[in-house]
Amino acid sequence: MSEVQRKKYSDQEKNEIFDQEFMPHIDSMYNFGYRLTFDEDDAKDLVQDTYLKAFRFINSFEQGTNAKAWLFRILKNSFINDYRKKSKQPTKIDYQEVETYYNSDDVDYGMTTDLRVESVKDMLGDEISNALNSLAVDFRTVIILCDLEGFTYEEMAKILDIPIGTVRSRLHRARNLLKEKLRSYAQNMGYDTDQED
Amino acid sequence: MDKNLESSGERKLRCSDESKCFQLLESILDGENSQDSKEILKEKLDKCQPCFEHYHLEQAIRDVLKTKCTKQLVPSELADSIRQKIKEIE
Repeated sequence: MSEVQRKKYSDQEKNEIFDQEFMPHIDSMYNFGYRLTFDEDDAKDLVQDTYLKAFRFINSFEQGTNAKAWLFRILKNSFINDYRKKSKQPTKIDYQEVETYYNSDDVDYGMTTDLRVESVKDMLGDEISNALNSLAVDFRTVIILCDLEGFTYEEMAKILDIPIGTVRSRLHRARNLLKEKLRSYAQNMGYDTDQED
Repeated sequence: MDKNLESSGERKLRCSDESKCFQLLESILDGENSQDSKEILKEKLDKCQPCFEHYHLEQAIRDVLKTKCTKQLVPSELADSIRQKIKEIE
């Protein structure tokens, strides 16, 4: 995953890697970009930038290794370095602040027990997507990487440049926040929750 | 250990270490912790109601995220535009 140049690919090899190992992930990449920016044009730019960077640094990619994780890492860094700076969004989430806040919650593990499996199963795609989209970007990201894209904790640690323990705890908190959102959807929609019991 | 737990297979209503158990269950659901996970899982889900409920709720949430989240169609021109830009660099 490092950007150290390891290889010296020929032009033909570069094109092969690009077409066979990078391009097949364009669908996942675009969806990741869209879920980070909520904007088609921004997502397109982000994906395009990512692929151009990937091509430029292709010698630091080891053929046959995890191209998807490598590309996701570049996209995530482009988002943080370029897009977030450019964007007019005033909300700059402070990882530390967010994590400390949720860390300090003593009832962390038991707080969402009144959400029922049945109401989750009955929810519509839009409700699930909206709940996910309403999470702060750092929490949203771990859920996207883990549940939607199927990355392992180890891959996520590399993509996000954080220790595995932080992946685990951030994921746990992200899911608790998601459950809170889903629970309020369930209540608004009149789904059965334990609160009436 | 309560007796009816062993005799009837009923689940205990309180988990003695929720925090640790839930974390373990979550990592099993995420495909981590594959060693012995089947045995641990069976043990927890058979014997502990909070673990049982937490596991199934977490599983349902993962399922709906995987299957129901809206997917965006990649704009058809994006791949071509990327290839075009790459050609320009080369």
